[in-house]
Amino acid sequence: MKRRARNESRFDSRCKIILLILTVFTATQAPSLSFLCGLMLLIALFSLFCGKGKAACVNLLVFTALYAIRTLALQMRPGGLQTMILSWLSLMYQVYPCGFMAGIILSTTKINEFLTAMTKAHVSPQITIPMAVMLRYLPTIREDWHFIKDAMRMRSISPTLWGFLTKPALTVECLYTPLLISASRAADELTIAAVTRGVESPNRRSCLVQVHCTIRDYMAILIFATYFIAMKFGGTA
Amino acid sequence: MIQFKDVSFSYSDETAMHNGVQNINLTIRKGECVLLCGSSGCGKTTLLKLMNGLIPHYFQGRLSGSVYIEGHKTADTPMHALSKFVGTVFQNPKTQFFNVDVDSEIVFGAENHGVLQSTLKSRFDQTLHTLHLEDLQGRNIFELSGGEKQKVAFASVYHMNPDIYLLDEPSSNLDAAAIKDLRAYLYQLKSEGKTVVIAEHRLYYCWDFADRILYLNNGRIENVFSSDAFQSLSNVQRIKMGLRTIHLEDVLPPERDISYEKNLLQVKQLTVSRKKQSILTDISFSAGIGEIIGVTGKNGTGKTTLLRTLCGLHTEYTGTLLWNAQPFKDKQRCKRSYMVMQDVNYQLFAESVEAECGFGLPNADQQRIEQTLCKLELDQLKDRHPNTLSGGQKQRLAVAVSMVCEKEVLVFDEPTSGLDYKSMEQVSGLLQMLAQHAVIFVVTHDYEFLCKTCTRMIQLEDGAISMDLPVCQETEAQLRKGILL
Repeated sequence: MKRRARNESRFDSRCKIILLILTVFTATQAPSLSFLCGLMLLIALFSLFCGKGKAACVNLLVFTALYAIRTLALQMRPGGLQTMILSWLSLMYQVYPCGFMAGIILSTTKINEFLTAMTKAHVSPQITIPMAVMLRYLPTIREDWHFIKDAMRMRSISPTLWGFLTKPALTVECLYTPLLISASRAADELTIAAVTRGVESPNRRSCLVQVHCTIRDYMAILIFATYFIAMKFGGTA
Repeated sequence: MIQFKDVSFSYSDETAMHNGVQNINLTIRKGECVLLCGSSGCGKTTLLKLMNGLIPHYFQGRLSGSVYIEGHKTADTPMHALSKFVGTVFQNPKTQFFNVDVDSEIVFGAENHGVLQSTLKSRFDQTLHTLHLEDLQGRNIFELSGGEKQKVAFASVYHMNPDIYLLDEPSSNLDAAAIKDLRAYLYQLKSEGKTVVIAEHRLYYCWDFADRILYLNNGRIENVFSSDAFQSLSNVQRIKMGLRTIHLEDVLPPERDISYEKNLLQVKQLTVSRKKQSILTDISFSAGIGEIIGVTGKNGTGKTTLLRTLCGLHTEYTGTLLWNAQPFKDKQRCKRSYMVMQDVNYQLFAESVEAECGFGLPNADQQRIEQTLCKLELDQLKDRHPNTLSGGQKQRLAVAVSMVCEKEVLVFDEPTSGLDYKSMEQVSGLLQMLAQHAVIFVVTHDYEFLCKTCTRMIQLEDGAISMDLPVCQETEAQLRKGILL
């Protein structure tokens, strides 16, 4: 029963991609910080609908913390440090909502639904298959990271931020050699697993779960689009 | 039906570890079950790749002769068309699934072929039922144990309902219980009249299932046995052929007199948890140099967590650890112990074999490095990049690192998965050499290896030690019951 409920609360992959594009446009063209705060609230709401309540809270908190840092920085004596902090923050404000949105999408999209939705949208498999491999590969990196961390600690190399700051070259080498090798092998094996099960078939893909846009998808797009248009042409607030 | 007509193949990639196959003539009838055996690199996997079309569609090389699957010449048939007749289960459960959740993975192949949604669903339910996988429905594959992943991989092929099943060392990462389930799956296929070709090193669980057993050597089919003829091979013949044991009943621990300095490493009332959930409770034992302790137990019982705690890598625990009756703190353990991982690629960082041995060490002893490489027969390879070595050589290189750093607690995580007889024997010899200077723990499901190598077995069950026995002839019956269930 619970699983069924979860299936029904899914957004269509096409909808998610449109929302991501709208988010990127809104974030990069927002004339003021208050619009970005509004955007964050919208994404948090979307995340809530995707069943990611915890992520919504955490990200809103982080964003509030960034806002607090800005308020503090503005009270500082004007100078090099203040300019540096403020310019870093203004970049963060724009990137953060996009990262948040992308995170929600990645964690809620099943690969087969994504592939089916993309076929329905007539996107070429040359684009969708590499994207699907990427979707699949991301959780693998997290697994790899645990092993690499162990291996580094057994060599007395600290896999922490402090280790990175004190011995940057060594730490990077430790990360990238095994990751690169594991990535190239995983890409190979994943491709083999996919082609031996007919991923290249020219037949129209089917899907175990219904993939279609519902009123929820259209509503979500409408809300995000309205926000973008209102910001672009309406407000200077 | 599968037909090979005078097929030869050699890989164009010269660094490939495999040598290809030569002059293969073979017909496998519909409904026949064939076992391919032979030492590593003999061409078993290559034959399977020729059958599922990965050769020539995915792997490049020189191919002569032709392979026919159900009358279709593989070289002229695209992969997606072949995938309707032939399904393949691979060795490594970690990277053979394309989806993140179990349900999507099982139906993935049929979805690709555009099977109607109603058919997808009914076949899905039937697959779960026949293979007893109802418990796994809706789960995230990354949270499954190796054995469960392999079952999902099997189910994803079964759902497509091909006529021919190919299995490439499917038992490599499985414990005894999972191997039993795999065997039941094989018999299910046989009862459905499917054609099954299986390449394996572990022969004990599948030889009697096969109608025909092909022995490959150097890329040629050197001998063909019926299962009756195969099972009456003498041990001497079998070892000469480089094959693992056929009858587990014949495997016995050697005579040993066991007397070690016992209390060097002491573990007292160790309780380990992960994310506040208790995994192991009240573990106590002691160990000394000279011991090779086999740690066994089902997939997912916390063997790896226990050993990561011993190595100072897992720090969420209560209890006492002592070395020479002195407290043995996390940092010290991390410094003095070393784990050779199942996938050693994660622990090789440097650009050459020689540099790897001194990697991260501020003042590496050059002479010691050279001696160690010599001892492990890696001195000829000292300028090679670690990534170009074979699996066994990489494993020895990881061991070399531990020897250079003079580690005193060594942990091996399933060092023999997917190894043939000769390689298994080499690992066994290596461990016995290392045991002269270190306390050794080995996580293993491999009964043959355990008997040959370990001096003691600790079995974990439900978060506690359920068995702690010396490996010798007196305890043989208990060991067998413990590890083989």
